[in-house]
Amino acid sequence: MDTISRDFAAAIALEDLWNDPYPTYERLRNEAPVAFVPAANRYLVTRHADIVELERKPEIFSAHEANSLMIRVMGHTMIRKDGAAHRRERLACEPALRPGVVKNKWVPTFQAIVDALIDGFEKDGMVDLFDRFAGPCASLSLIAMLGLKDVDQKDLRIWSQAMMDATGNYADDAEVWRRSDEAAAGVDAALDVAIPYLQANPDESLISCMLHADDPLSREEIAANVKVIIGGGLNEPRDAIATGAYALLADDEQRRLVEADPALWRKVFEETVRWVSPIGMYPRQTAVDTELAGIPLPAGSRIGVVLAAGNRDETVFQNPDRFDINRPKAPHIAFGGGPHFCLGAWAARAQVGEIALPTLFSRLKNLRLDESEPVRFGGWVFRGPLNLPARWDA
Amino acid sequence: MPTITFVEADGTERTVVAAEGTSLMQAGVANDISGIVGECGGSRMCATCHVVLDLADLPRLPPISEGEEEMLEFGTSERFEGSRLGCQIPVTDALDGLKVRVPG
Repeated sequence: MDTISRDFAAAIALEDLWNDPYPTYERLRNEAPVAFVPAANRYLVTRHADIVELERKPEIFSAHEANSLMIRVMGHTMIRKDGAAHRRERLACEPALRPGVVKNKWVPTFQAIVDALIDGFEKDGMVDLFDRFAGPCASLSLIAMLGLKDVDQKDLRIWSQAMMDATGNYADDAEVWRRSDEAAAGVDAALDVAIPYLQANPDESLISCMLHADDPLSREEIAANVKVIIGGGLNEPRDAIATGAYALLADDEQRRLVEADPALWRKVFEETVRWVSPIGMYPRQTAVDTELAGIPLPAGSRIGVVLAAGNRDETVFQNPDRFDINRPKAPHIAFGGGPHFCLGAWAARAQVGEIALPTLFSRLKNLRLDESEPVRFGGWVFRGPLNLPARWDA
Repeated sequence: MPTITFVEADGTERTVVAAEGTSLMQAGVANDISGIVGECGGSRMCATCHVVLDLADLPRLPPISEGEEEMLEFGTSERFEGSRLGCQIPVTDALDGLKVRVPG
């Protein structure tokens, strides 16, 4: 890295990443693909090939980050564990989210949720699809998959946001801690209801699978993992629904293609999460002295794995800034990789690509963006639309 | 060490030497076989190491577990009679000379 590139990395402001990270990522990929960015207090890894390489070395690029605020907020969840400890908890959860159970159990659940939401606003002719469709759809679907009872979808959204805000609370803002403590208490109270019920009445839900696994998880382990699933499992499908809907509403040609051939919805989903990856960055920490792309990384280095940058790598994806469902097949990395490969990948594909988006476009006639208010995107650690005002012929 | 031949989607045949104790997926990834991605690192959650064997070769492999069965049935775009997940196939001497096809 030459002096100019080093100065560039040193000058990156988080506010600019939040507004639009992609020009910065392009320059990092080309000039400083493993660069220490002081504002993020991490080495950001931005090239596709380097991300794939580090994901294959979980013993070097550890998920167990020192002083993790996530552990303070949620307890020690599987997402911050390595090796056998991670594997044990992950295995307990997998039966709830494998593709077969997704197809047989969760697809009908998602369809009922989506239909009821659209029933609720179909006659209005206009709505903010982010707030009234994408958010509630993701929340209600997650409540069902977790196995929670009598939890309001709005509460789950508030808890999710409060816990995620606190995992980034490096400024030690007391109000942020207060809200996340309140959210954690809300989740614990919901577990007090769900656990005894599911203990006696096993089903396909995540909490039930954790309780009834060959090696069952403890109450403490269940609580931590339910919190991380609420924190991390709600905004991704929400943002994928909103981003995918926006991409099609903003591009008549792509929309015509998929409306003419419903088999293409699957590609819409994959291209959506490549184009604007809902999880833009996740942390790792080097367990030993190592190097990546020729950059020495001492043990204990904090790493930011920038999936959103790797998914726009021009050496893998031609014309990467364009949303194009017909692009040549190439593996995106929106679900991460290695042992922590997204547990909810199959549920997300079904919820977003098979049910939410196709149903939305088929039920709301002449669906279009409401031009009176522009769609805004925000975020870099997590990214998606902040609003999606739309109209249709009611 | 056993040699394995991968037939890539465009028909290219590539013969690689695979280390015992690894998996067919790892052998494919290590040798940049097109179509073998191994996204999930071998925890049978992604189906990006799908390979198809000649039916006559299937008895050389361990049986299909419940988790692999589900992934093949619902996680692959097209399942064939000889479909397996590369991550669930341990490399042993018994596999020497095996040829597998990587669907597109």
